[in-house]
Amino acid sequence: MLFLAPVMAVLGAVAVFPIAYSLYISFFSIKLTRPNRTPFVGLKNYTDLLGDEAFWGAVWRTVSFSLVSVSAIAVIALLVSLLLNQEFRGRRILSTILLVPWAIPYVANALMWKWIYDSSYGALNGILYQLDFIDKYMVWLGDQDKTLFLIANAFVWKEVPLATILLLVSLKSIPADLYLAARVDGATVWQRFVHVTLPAMKPGFMLVMIYETMMAIRHFDLFFVLTEGGPGSASHVLSWHIYVETFRNLSFGSGAAMSYLLAIATFALSYLFIRTLGRKI
Amino acid sequence: MTNMPITPPVDTIDYRRRQTMARIVQRVVILVSAIVLAIYVLAPVSWLVSSAFQTETEIVSIPPHWIPDEPTLGNFKAIFTAGDSAPVTYETRSGTDPAAGNFIPSTAKNLLPSMGNSLIVATLVVILNLLVGVPAAYAIAKIRFWGRNASVYFILLTRVIPDIALVVPFFLVIRKLGMLDTLWSLVITYLAVTVPFTVFILIQYFEGLPDELDKAARVDGCSRLQALIKVFLPLSLPSLVAVVLFTFLTSWNEFLLALMFTQTSASQTLPILLASFTSDFTVSFSFLNAAGVLAIVPPVIVAIVFERYIVSGLTAGAVKG
Repeated sequence: MLFLAPVMAVLGAVAVFPIAYSLYISFFSIKLTRPNRTPFVGLKNYTDLLGDEAFWGAVWRTVSFSLVSVSAIAVIALLVSLLLNQEFRGRRILSTILLVPWAIPYVANALMWKWIYDSSYGALNGILYQLDFIDKYMVWLGDQDKTLFLIANAFVWKEVPLATILLLVSLKSIPADLYLAARVDGATVWQRFVHVTLPAMKPGFMLVMIYETMMAIRHFDLFFVLTEGGPGSASHVLSWHIYVETFRNLSFGSGAAMSYLLAIATFALSYLFIRTLGRKI
Repeated sequence: MTNMPITPPVDTIDYRRRQTMARIVQRVVILVSAIVLAIYVLAPVSWLVSSAFQTETEIVSIPPHWIPDEPTLGNFKAIFTAGDSAPVTYETRSGTDPAAGNFIPSTAKNLLPSMGNSLIVATLVVILNLLVGVPAAYAIAKIRFWGRNASVYFILLTRVIPDIALVVPFFLVIRKLGMLDTLWSLVITYLAVTVPFTVFILIQYFEGLPDELDKAARVDGCSRLQALIKVFLPLSLPSLVAVVLFTFLTSWNEFLLALMFTQTSASQTLPILLASFTSDFTVSFSFLNAAGVLAIVPPVIVAIVFERYIVSGLTAGAVKG
């Protein structure tokens, strides 16, 4: 098919080939510090990971970051979409400004939150101090117990608009008759919400959860700008680990192996994604 | 049937009162949540914008000045004139009034060129996306052929490949081709993260256009290509606008791949330069915030102006893929 040829050629070159090449690389020990010797090591890059505490630590932090962010996104987006599904003055303006976080580049978002969290002059310290919640300025991002949550907060702020838009679609698709019928049957507001709204939103919810999980487990930009994996290893997530292993330790073989595992995790998620949406294709 | 009281039964009054009460409560809840949402979305950005207009002396006040006492354009001026001034040295940095944005990094002069780089890359990516995406989407939506479903799944699959998994192989290939630190390395790799989405938005839209259009055009003697160009493209303008916007914003905002493939001002894009400022502890806060504002203004304007196209595109693209 002539019309399809360009797209297939492009995707073959920029998506399929790299992914296949990445698998191939992951079977070799490639270190740019040792450019002339790249021995074949089979599955060693993968088996080494099994006993690598730094790797499992990074995996665990990625999982907790994703769990925290995705559940926060789901809850906030649900509330916002319920609000924007109502008719009220100012709704149009509100939906427009909701696009602002979505449009901002991630690096600018990171810069903004870094400045908000700043330990000497940041807005978070300023406002908490003025409201008497804290009696002295805090080093927010330097606190190992808080870092991951603060980064998750910046991530959630940026991802909520998209999740809201997706949830609004399923809210709008609920026929008004259903609510009317439930009302006639004497259902209260809460009952209508639980028995009509929530079930109708299930596909939208699945979509948001899976899509946002895919975004969260691969997220890199905020970690790079806000903490560089620190303090200590508090925000040393998998994507950061891959970056350090590949471009600081210059160990391309194991970097490729780890990114391949991440790709497989994403494919597994996307399988769910396709299954959920399968009917619509 | 005599002497029936005219007053309505008690429970009706009660019902009405409850109705009004419920309506008032509902209004209050909506109003409060709307205000909370507006604050949640706008407060962080307002703080960034407010700080960008403060002098360095004002910006380090404790507690912070939420609204600048003496708003200044100095930080923006520093960015726009960074190219003309003498090279920044320790002396010039600490010499004059720090409030005028003199604690600026030596790479500040690259800021405007980096915006230019971002613009060039994004434009090329948009054009290439349309060139390969439009015919593919038309074929999948309007032509029945063997392997059609397989193609849909194939494109869907490429959509979910994480960018970080592409970084290592891309880097090795691009290095081998001698294309490191060129804009082309970005244009090519950005296709991987944009084309699948483009195709899905367009398929969705083309499928919504009646098949009869295609048939009528063909009966009138149009080739497939002519049918696409003369009949479908004019009708699918909204989806084309959505595609242009998404592709443009994705390229404009992309960071990870640009971080790997760019090294000098020849190819550095805006996010790369911004990130390099944030990791430099000597850069003044006011300058940094002004640079941040400069980076968010173009995409935010685009998003607000084209809101309708973006929302419809997002839903179409996400629902389909």
